[in-house]
Amino acid sequence: MTSRRNFIKVSGLAGGGLAISLAVPKYARTMAFKPGDREITMNNFLTIDTGGNITAILTKHEMGQGTGTSVPTILADELGADWSKVKIKRSDYNPVYSWREMGTTGGSGSIERIWNAIRNAGATAREMMKQAAAQQWGVDTMVVKAENSFVINLITKERLEFGQLAEAASKLPVPEKVVLKKPKDYVYIGTSVKNRITPEVVAGKANYGIDMDIPSMVYAAIKRCPVFNGKVVTYDDTEARGLKGVLDIFPLTLSEDVKKTLHPKIGYVDEGVVVVADSTWTAFKATKLLKITWDQGANGSRSTTSLENEMKAAKDAVSFKFEMGDFEQVLNDRNNEILEVEYNNPHHPHALMEPINATAHFTGEACEVWVGTQDAAQTNAEVAKLLGLPRENVTVHVLNSGGSFGRRYHMDSSIEAAFISRKINKPVKVTWTREDEMMHDHFQHCLRNYLTAVITPDKRVVGVQNKAICTVDYAIWSEKWDHYYAFPNIRGYRAHVPTLVQQGAWRSVGEHSGSLGKECFIDELAHKTGKDPIDYRIELLGNEVDWGDPKDFPNWVINYFLPRKKIIRQRYLDTLEYIRMHNLWKKEMPYGRGKGFAIANFGDTICAQIAEVTMDDSECGFSVDKVTAVVYCGMVVNPHFGRGQIEGAIIWALSAVKYGGITVENGVVQRTNFDNNKVVRMDETPEIEVIFIESDEEPCGLGEPGTPALAPAVLNAIFDASGKRIREIPVRKEIFQSA
Amino acid sequence: MGKYSLTVNKKTHTFEVASDTPLLWVLRDTLKLYGTKYGCGIGQCGACTVHIDGLPYRSCCIPIESIKDQSIVTIEGLSENGTHTVQLAWQVVDVPQCGYCQSGQIMTAAALLDRIPQPTEADINRAMKGNICRCGTYVRIKEAIKLAAKNISS
Repeated sequence: MTSRRNFIKVSGLAGGGLAISLAVPKYARTMAFKPGDREITMNNFLTIDTGGNITAILTKHEMGQGTGTSVPTILADELGADWSKVKIKRSDYNPVYSWREMGTTGGSGSIERIWNAIRNAGATAREMMKQAAAQQWGVDTMVVKAENSFVINLITKERLEFGQLAEAASKLPVPEKVVLKKPKDYVYIGTSVKNRITPEVVAGKANYGIDMDIPSMVYAAIKRCPVFNGKVVTYDDTEARGLKGVLDIFPLTLSEDVKKTLHPKIGYVDEGVVVVADSTWTAFKATKLLKITWDQGANGSRSTTSLENEMKAAKDAVSFKFEMGDFEQVLNDRNNEILEVEYNNPHHPHALMEPINATAHFTGEACEVWVGTQDAAQTNAEVAKLLGLPRENVTVHVLNSGGSFGRRYHMDSSIEAAFISRKINKPVKVTWTREDEMMHDHFQHCLRNYLTAVITPDKRVVGVQNKAICTVDYAIWSEKWDHYYAFPNIRGYRAHVPTLVQQGAWRSVGEHSGSLGKECFIDELAHKTGKDPIDYRIELLGNEVDWGDPKDFPNWVINYFLPRKKIIRQRYLDTLEYIRMHNLWKKEMPYGRGKGFAIANFGDTICAQIAEVTMDDSECGFSVDKVTAVVYCGMVVNPHFGRGQIEGAIIWALSAVKYGGITVENGVVQRTNFDNNKVVRMDETPEIEVIFIESDEEPCGLGEPGTPALAPAVLNAIFDASGKRIREIPVRKEIFQSA
Repeated sequence: MGKYSLTVNKKTHTFEVASDTPLLWVLRDTLKLYGTKYGCGIGQCGACTVHIDGLPYRSCCIPIESIKDQSIVTIEGLSENGTHTVQLAWQVVDVPQCGYCQSGQIMTAAALLDRIPQPTEADINRAMKGNICRCGTYVRIKEAIKLAAKNISS
């Protein structure tokens, strides 16, 4: 297929009908419409039938973020469609879609990545409808407009419905360039269009991966090695086999050759023993009867305490360093005051409502997989590699999932299901117990920040140093280009300590872990220097960070990074000014209560939060009464969904502040279920106010940006209320007695 | 193993399962009523809530052998076509994000309003704190319960 940028190509599609395929760069295909065809494929994102029913093809994964409704809304708006006539159809993994169009659903990037493609798809089909009508009326397209699924003749007021025009439109050449709507002309974008999954959800008819059911399907559960990277040595399944309904038991071990082909992180699978049974319950019960001897490997002797010691030891053997200015010089000036503190943000679990699962049917030459996944393409690739099949022989059907938050980037359950289906020659559903989900989570990484500030006698902070010790090889505020607050001398170090549990993306990833130390430290410095936390941030952001001589900058920094940073810095300032202007921060708190502020960005979205707390005698020693979030994210496609994402992210992060931080003993995660892994419930939910700063700039993500500011805002509020600096989460009441 | 007869959503089913099988797994795997969700298996999250003789129970913790001539209602049977006051309020407020926990939330809320048609804030928190939502839709769930209560009173 030939393609070039900004060019829409028309070519054949098997099965008849017209198809325009739009991507970045755009391209398109079409084939003569055959008499008798009812449904016309206008492009990869949309079909229209002769009755006027429109089907929007959904390429992104719906996991609670609302994308499954909001992306089709954008399409309908550009098309000029009647939303009530738009049905939504989930697409299986299909390589026709580019990475931006399908690819991963995550990084709060779905709308941002698909924004251009989906609008062009809608606008191209709309222009073809207009042309078809104009030809029929013998007028110029200048005098027709598309609205509410009709093309209207502005002179004669005649109307033709899209369904009446679909066949004629399919025979037209595809326009090379289309004009996109202006924000002021949007009909659905910017309004709270109702979530399309709601009617099914409330009737109990919404199907998730775990509800998959296919004829002759059997059920599997797996007893996995409780220690990360451990192995099965031997097992005794006598008792388990005695259970009625157990069909088969075998180990799940992959050869080193196969393992080498799989992705080391998202294609990682725990070793274990599989039970196949005639029901989920029997499979669960039988796994408890297995007697397995494990080789626990190197992680079997590690624990939270040993990890902490390793991290502390790594502080002085750092592997990465950058320097802006001369930190050493201000540090050595004896007139200056030195502030040294340590922040700790530990591993947090996902605890998704829908436990991990997948269904697979291997038929020798091909395999079908049904799963809720954030990356259907990678699922297809990993399953194909496991089975040694060409990728086109693996079909991945994407089902909605009961929350993902980064966990469903991992293909473990799909690989397991495919492995088992091949072994037993039957379709099989693998369901993880809640205990499996908790103990074999891909946890948020662990980060410790050792922070130093140098303060002059006249209360100026002239140097900041961050030693970031992390269980992954990245951490925000530890790279030169990560800095927005313009201290005159900045030095950063980073060291990587090997993890003792599986790790993965967790709602806002490094922004959550790094913002804790950064935003609390800025608050500490504001108090040290007698400044208001908002004014102080505005002052620090007032200047660009001194990156050094631009002639030493890599090209990507000049072309991409610095222009983007400029936008983000401006958004930080606009958000802070908004808070100052609207007096959101100037609230007097009575004795025993306090307020705290923090601001963070995830991608190009900025979210500032003001937390109000009351010190009390509860398990954590405090309660959060209210959180006010001010968000700068460009245009808000669906305000109801947007507010919901920020509310949800605040509650998500509050669970980490109150109950996060798993412990590990002898390599085994010491949390198993919601009894010992508490999460925030309705009675602990604060009042939440979400303010979006009005903007008609292109929309930026909203799934994760509400997370990172919450923990530091709450800890800063606790300081305001109690006078005590808490420098780690989760916060326990005992800390107030000892601090 | 045993033979059991169970009335779910006014229909009687007869089947054979292990006597310790929780009601949840009978509903899901045997009767194919997938609206009732598995969340924790230990009565901690509320995703599996059903009504037994009108009262809310965690179906993951009720072995099939302990159910005697009782009438069970699941989310699928709460109303015809999702028209129960609580379901309608959920739609007006547009509560769900991922939606996975919502059958349990709705069943708990419906039972609450049966017992206390005009609940206070404290009544709502007390009844609903057994149901976890990891998307964090609590603000909206509360709003929908208040709306349903308002609709009941008018």
